Amino acid sequence: MTTPALELRQITKRFGNHAAVDRVDLVVPHNSVVALVGESGSGKTTTGLLALRLVHATSGQILLDGKDISNLSQKELKPHRRQMQVVFQDSYASLDPMMTLGEIVAEPLGIHGIGSAAERRDQARSWLERVGLDGGYANRYPHELSGGQRQRVSVARALILGASMLVADEPTSALDVSVKAQIVNLLQDLQTSMGLSMLFISHDLSVVRSLADEVVVMLRGRIVERAPTDQIFADARHPYTQSLLDAVPVIDPKARRRRTFLSADEITARTPRFHPRELDTQPLLDTAEPQLVALAGSHFVEAIVTERATP
Amino acid sequence: MTGFILRRVLSMAVTFIVVSIVIFLMMHAIPGGPFDGYDMPLPDNIKARLMAQLGLDKPLWEQYLRYMWGVAHFDFGVPYQSPGETVMGLIAHAWLPSFTLGGLGILIGAPIGILLGMAAALRRNSFIDYLASGVATLGLTIPVFIISTGLILVFAVWLHWTPASGWGEPKRWILPILAYAAVPLATYARYARSTMLDVLNKPFVTVLRAKGLSERRIIFQHVLRNAAIPMVTIFPAMFVGIATGSIFVEAMFRVPGLGAYFVSSINKRDYPLEMALMLLISALYSISYLVAEILYAVLNPRIRIEGSGR
Repeated sequence: MTTPALELRQITKRFGNHAAVDRVDLVVPHNSVVALVGESGSGKTTTGLLALRLVHATSGQILLDGKDISNLSQKELKPHRRQMQVVFQDSYASLDPMMTLGEIVAEPLGIHGIGSAAERRDQARSWLERVGLDGGYANRYPHELSGGQRQRVSVARALILGASMLVADEPTSALDVSVKAQIVNLLQDLQTSMGLSMLFISHDLSVVRSLADEVVVMLRGRIVERAPTDQIFADARHPYTQSLLDAVPVIDPKARRRRTFLSADEITARTPRFHPRELDTQPLLDTAEPQLVALAGSHFVEAIVTERATP
Repeated sequence: MTGFILRRVLSMAVTFIVVSIVIFLMMHAIPGGPFDGYDMPLPDNIKARLMAQLGLDKPLWEQYLRYMWGVAHFDFGVPYQSPGETVMGLIAHAWLPSFTLGGLGILIGAPIGILLGMAAALRRNSFIDYLASGVATLGLTIPVFIISTGLILVFAVWLHWTPASGWGEPKRWILPILAYAAVPLATYARYARSTMLDVLNKPFVTVLRAKGLSERRIIFQHVLRNAAIPMVTIFPAMFVGIATGSIFVEAMFRVPGLGAYFVSSINKRDYPLEMALMLLISALYSISYLVAEILYAVLNPRIRIEGSGR
């Protein structure tokens, strides 16, 4: 098995007694897009920040291209930061309003001491063009741009250092539908042309479906289901994933669907149960706590494994 | 930019005229006149002659126009309570202590407040943060005459470090300036903290951390620059307080500034002085807001763009 671009092992973040992220395992293979979905408060954004070492993990490991970065100091971390970059949701607040777009895009080069000022400027311009903005935008300020254009700037800034791993935290959630499609296309193009790996954090399942290779579903800090994208959309096994899928708006009003909104108790009550014989791997038996079990076809779901009959 | 300033100056002039009319009417709406308050009332005929001499027998609109005609020629008349000098002369000698007191109070209070607020924002929930919040809350809620009394009690009465009141030599300036500094200090401690936190919580700061920029550089190259705009733009407004805010401090420390004249001119219906002082305040307001707007426009690229190209 090749080294993944990013791997989180049993990563946990506690704020006081509350575990925002609870023993999460996550693998983003090279050249692939893993979507992290879940409602707000599920811990998906915190997971992204943990991966970027912007929030310090309570426990667990972060492996960037096989290298354990979980305990490096910020100084030791700096060279590794070139490999992993981030795009946030709020396109305006993501850009320093006092700087021109050229300065913003060139800044990462300056931080890592790459090239002369003139070279940095040229590179920033060519990156602006690469994300679909005319080079003339280099002298403009963030407020002069639309949300979609600003998000392009954020992407250019994220990738100018040649990052191989991109954490995109709801990069399209604040955008109009048409603009959203453009940004998704841009990310898709860059992903294929640069061989980028991406952790795509979103609650927008329609975007996830068109972009992601694998979908990871989080609920209350835990991963409840994980499967290749097609598999998730075709055969979601966890009640929470099913309710997320049901909540996706459908344009055709005639497409009548059964909608389920589950409370926390209902989700717990409906957690799948398996007899050990049904599973490929040998899980711990009869634990009261649900655990992530492997089904056929790289499909994992949080379930209770018990030899007793399903109640 | 020039057009912008011209437009503002023009609207300032209009505001100034409106304000002068309102003040003039309100001033005359107070019952009684300048010669009614004596223990031994003047005979009616003498009072009438004095009133005629000062033009106070004319209809209000005429009095207003005459006054404003004088103002246009920088003639603010003669104060009734001190007929030996002009209003301009009186303000000229009384304003120096007021502006020294207020100006030094701001120049001492504001930077300390800014540093305190910044330190609080950078070390949230630390001792310094609680100190800053405490200082800000007390500075804004405790009336200045209580602060003044406290200062006098501690430094003059108990410690004998400074004189209790008066002006004159700089040693006497210390306590009034400290008392005056409380409000700008508290205002800035709060304001600097909140603007800094506001910027620190922006995603672009998180992105800079993700880029590997050191915390120190993030603060000096990005956060301060962004937080400076709102901090600089409230600075001119601080000076407005000099004219009004020092009334209490001056009274507490018996500083021979403008403060006392505000009160006496109203009590004694000293129309020319009252009018001049009120116009001075509104001029201070107008000018400080104009300066604030210009500063804001110069500092903020978002405003800078309109009217001036890039």
